[in-house]
Amino acid sequence: MSRYILRRALRSLLTVVIVFVAVFMLLRLMPLSGYFPPEMIKEADEATRMVYLRNQGLLDHPMVQLGRFVGNMFHGDLGRSLTVYPKVPIATLLKEKIPVTAAFGFASMLIGIVFGVGLGLFMVRFKDKAGDKLGTVFILLVRAVPSLIYLFFIQVWISKWFNLPLIFYKDRPISWILPTICLSLSSIAYYALWLRRFMVDEENQDYVKFAQVKGLPKREVLKRHVFKNAAIPLIIYIPYDLLMIIAGSLVIETLYAIPGTGGLLTTAIKSQDNNLVQVIVLMYAILSVIGVFLGDLLVAFVDPRIKLTEGE
Amino acid sequence: MDEKKKMPAALDPLKFRAAVYDQIAGEDVGFSNYSYWRSTLRTFFRSKAVVFLVTAVLAMIVMSIVYPIVSSVDPRAVVVDPRQWNLRPSMDHFFGTDSLGRDIWARAWYGARNSFLLGFAIACSDVGFGTLAGALWGYNKKLDPFFVELYNIITNIPSTVYLVLLAYIMNTSYLTLFFAMASRGWIVEARFFRNRILSIRDSEYNIASRCLGTPMHRIAFRNIVPHIISLIIMEAALCIPYSIGSEVFMGFVGVGLPVDAITLGNIVNQGRQSFTLHPYQMLLPTAILCLITVAFYVIGNKFADASDPRNHV
Amino acid sequence: MEQQRKQEPILSAKDVRIQFNLRGQILTAVRGASLDLYEGETLAIVGESGCGKSVFTKSFIGMLDKNGRVTGGSIHYRGEELTAYTTEQEWLKVRGKKIAMVFQDPMTSLNPVRTIGEQITEVITWHFGTEHEKAKQEAIEILKKVGISDAEVRYRQYPGEFSGGMRQRVVIATAIACRPEILICDEPTTALDVTVQAQILKLIKELQQEYHMTVVYITHDLGVVANVADRVSVMYAGQIVEHGLVREIFHEPAHPYTKALLQSLPQLGVKGHELYSIKGTPPNLFKEIRGDAFAPRNPRAMEIDFEEEPPMFQISETHWAKTWLLHPLAEGYRAKIEAEDAARKDKIVPDSPFDYSHAKKLLQVKDLSVNFKLGAKQFKAVDTVSFDIYKGETLSLVGESGSGKTTIGRAIMRIYGSNVEGSILYEGEEITGRLSREKAKDLHMEMQMIFQDPMASLNERAKVDYIISEGLYNYHLYEDEKDRERKVVAIMQEVGLSQDFITRFPHEFSGGQRQRIGIARSLVMGPDFIVADEPISALDVSIRAQVINLLNKMKKERNLTYLFIAHDLSVVRFISDRIAVIHKGRLVELAPCEELFAQPLHPYTKALLSAVPYPDPDVERNKILLTYDSRMHSYETDPPVWTEILPGHFILANRQEIAIYQKEIDDAAGRRAE
Repeated sequence: MSRYILRRALRSLLTVVIVFVAVFMLLRLMPLSGYFPPEMIKEADEATRMVYLRNQGLLDHPMVQLGRFVGNMFHGDLGRSLTVYPKVPIATLLKEKIPVTAAFGFASMLIGIVFGVGLGLFMVRFKDKAGDKLGTVFILLVRAVPSLIYLFFIQVWISKWFNLPLIFYKDRPISWILPTICLSLSSIAYYALWLRRFMVDEENQDYVKFAQVKGLPKREVLKRHVFKNAAIPLIIYIPYDLLMIIAGSLVIETLYAIPGTGGLLTTAIKSQDNNLVQVIVLMYAILSVIGVFLGDLLVAFVDPRIKLTEGE
Repeated sequence: MDEKKKMPAALDPLKFRAAVYDQIAGEDVGFSNYSYWRSTLRTFFRSKAVVFLVTAVLAMIVMSIVYPIVSSVDPRAVVVDPRQWNLRPSMDHFFGTDSLGRDIWARAWYGARNSFLLGFAIACSDVGFGTLAGALWGYNKKLDPFFVELYNIITNIPSTVYLVLLAYIMNTSYLTLFFAMASRGWIVEARFFRNRILSIRDSEYNIASRCLGTPMHRIAFRNIVPHIISLIIMEAALCIPYSIGSEVFMGFVGVGLPVDAITLGNIVNQGRQSFTLHPYQMLLPTAILCLITVAFYVIGNKFADASDPRNHV
Repeated sequence: MEQQRKQEPILSAKDVRIQFNLRGQILTAVRGASLDLYEGETLAIVGESGCGKSVFTKSFIGMLDKNGRVTGGSIHYRGEELTAYTTEQEWLKVRGKKIAMVFQDPMTSLNPVRTIGEQITEVITWHFGTEHEKAKQEAIEILKKVGISDAEVRYRQYPGEFSGGMRQRVVIATAIACRPEILICDEPTTALDVTVQAQILKLIKELQQEYHMTVVYITHDLGVVANVADRVSVMYAGQIVEHGLVREIFHEPAHPYTKALLQSLPQLGVKGHELYSIKGTPPNLFKEIRGDAFAPRNPRAMEIDFEEEPPMFQISETHWAKTWLLHPLAEGYRAKIEAEDAARKDKIVPDSPFDYSHAKKLLQVKDLSVNFKLGAKQFKAVDTVSFDIYKGETLSLVGESGSGKTTIGRAIMRIYGSNVEGSILYEGEEITGRLSREKAKDLHMEMQMIFQDPMASLNERAKVDYIISEGLYNYHLYEDEKDRERKVVAIMQEVGLSQDFITRFPHEFSGGQRQRIGIARSLVMGPDFIVADEPISALDVSIRAQVINLLNKMKKERNLTYLFIAHDLSVVRFISDRIAVIHKGRLVELAPCEELFAQPLHPYTKALLSAVPYPDPDVERNKILLTYDSRMHSYETDPPVWTEILPGHFILANRQEIAIYQKEIDDAAGRRAE
């Protein structure tokens, strides 16, 4: 088991390194205009700009830049924002923003799992009946309609119906409700869809029939056998869920003006702040790799089959 | 023999002699005239929702091709007269006009055409390159680590971040949008098809072909393609809602197509800004957009179900 | 047995009808089947797949699939009418507690993500309300009882850590943890190896004694029936067509179907002669069946069989059969048939054995090893195997699942690449490694393979025409389209397929027909040598004979050489000239067919022979089961060598063992001389 974890951790580390380098190199292709501070965009001639770029080290070989970036990173220096918050160290910015995004992320992940599993169980319970069909329509809408569209309508209409604030205010907890729900919608649909499908698949397995033949009532068999088996593959999706939440936060934080990293990335892109874009994208990439790793780890702990094939 | 009483009253003694043995009747297994594709289509079209959605999609595709040819309305024509701005839907303008007096009905169909084109292009590239790469990946063990690592790198970055990043680096254009989506989609498809192709590769009928010395090209076209063609259709159908959704998203983030490009995504994003005052400007094009994405999503999934022989009668 | 007649049956099913609704069509799976079950007995229900035996017994515990229901008849059990049960609540009184069931596949009967301990304990706590600790102790006791050593440790393990046979023991332990009166075993050993099968059957017998259970076996294997059953019910097309004591069924079968089943068994056939084979397939139960359901497949059916359904006739106190042959009016006809049978039996003389004195070596396998990668580990599927195949003979390769027998076949067919070591010579020429195009073409035309699974080995999306022509297309072995079609039709007729089938897809055929398509596909290339990889093990009993006959006929007509891969020694005896036994990737013994049966030397061969079920109750009841444990050899200091201990009789043994075997041979020779 420990060997499996170690091997898996080393692989993830390798992936992190490759992803990091690849993304960093890609970002070297960013338009150089995105590196100028606001005052320079208006004035300054070509020569001054070149001098500025050279001083910033942006004309060096990409590998040199990478080395420098990594070196600085270990000293807690992530560079400075250019246009969004001119001259503010990015590390300081992130320190402020990450907790907000993380809070929303975890809250909606939790809601996603609880309500997604709940909806999935509900649909299995009323399989092929009205409740199941209603759930299917919900899943269909969430998955087929571009998220932006339904998120927008939720913001405009639901907030009116329930008299909720249109945007986020840090000191008004009631304004947190809508964005959290919005952020968890796709997760709910995802878990419900797969839990239903897995449970229906598992129900046809021999061991379920055997458990019934043993004399356990169907309800008990679902509880003791089917649910656990169907839930295991869902755990593999938790990291994927994390990716979806990150993706969703880009939209939702912008829609609700939440001061988090997702909104910050959209702002940085709109105002061409290369340094900021670079750090946030790298952060997300690393986060995702770690998420996938943790998911694999989790599965290895709950699923005895992994131990058998992977361990000695 | 104490059961005689139960027997039919009169039994003909002549019947107790050898009957003519009909070998053909003995071999009869009930010829069903079964054809995989016919059954798939029949199962597929049994659902009324599918019939409706397929009709709707075909109608919309036809409309988006025919309208720009037939109509004389210029979707870009800005009207100077403010009285022509923000008109409600009417017989002159089915979907009304926007804040520059442009006809939204016309824009919707031009937009649908462009979005369809983009979507189909991405579907072709994703599924086309995906199957090819999947076949390579499945058939060549040496390439496995390479593909696995590539897959990890590309899919470990959330798709939205990936799209935004690429679009940010390049200039905004149709090509950029296409490249951003296509450069990611193929590997996801490749992995999906790799798993399918692997199981076909090791199946007994494929080994039988190898024992017969069947060349690679015939194995590909006879053994593999017919078994994955329904998956190809399904995956291609699901590419459409994905590409339209991504387009809307990228327009929103600010790395989408230039404002003057007419796509459903741009129309919806522009309509969103004037939503509070003139909701119809967003609602009507959005309805078309959602109908398209939902239709393709349902069609793709239903087709996958219908193509599974277990669901055939 | 006699006193059983006087007692009341504990379970009595009468005229049970079970129908399924399959997308608007009604399938009548059970058409009025009746059955009495007496306390303490073992009843076997025999029949082909699709005859309704599983469905019938599932109705005793209310486990029919959702779209199926009992539409007629009654099932009485201890004063309760089971067909009247509608709610799960009612069924829970019976299920598990009173009637328990064991399924065919132990690999899927247990939940893979819960420990086996939990799965047994939950039965005890649920049924008897025992507290957990005590239930755990009981579970461990039961595990010990079903022959699982280290039960305390095993209790905490997951099903994945058990072998197939061990899992089936756990499944049985779970079933008897409810202390049922009746245990229904649905093909309990079909998925297991023969040696394991024998142990499981023995275990069930012992448990039956200890717990005074009544056991119902559902099986298609007449060898198993002969071993375990007190009484037998033969089921066909949803009806019980004959039932009686086991000896009555095996020695005096009355129904034509029972007779046909027994006659078609290769174990009872005479070498070199056609086996009796049942044509066609069981009837389509979607349709109304008129008369005797077996009549269309019975070449000697009477006219009345096509018109009226026969009643049950009583033959003896315990023996009943549902056939018009027993009607007084049929007496003349019956006598005629019996006379014909007797005359035929007298005429049959076995073929003389294959003559090796002038035989040429066709294929030589020398030190063949095949390695596979499993994750980071290397694993030797085949380990330094050597044997020759002579032109015109049938060499059978027998081993249990995972022994590497299929791998050898595929290595000969050059399916594997660089993971093959050693050499394979075909007509004296090396065929491993890279070959020229020309050479590869020659080999494809001379060596062909027949596959195990008739479902998986045909391309579902291709028509029969293409499937059979595939080899012709590859090397353009025809002049024009017409010529190709002519060749396809010719081969189809040769294997007994109507030429109308040419435009059909594989799923329209029965297993036997599909297997014949597969044979046609190989034969159309005009090969000399065929690797037949378990060509009959996936087929129903009644269809096996057809395929065996076809293979034998083709061998004679086309002078073919076979490498026949199988797991069942008794089937192989009927067709092979020599037999090689393989265990865990190594050949352990190779000898001429009859010599191997008369004088097996290697302990593994002996164990295998003792475990093979033989379809005769007198033989089965008296056999002694031998077990084999590879730890009995001491090969560390004295490694084994592949040695020819008698002319043509090879064995894997070290020097010390050879001395022992030699003595065994001399003793036997001495006994014969006396």
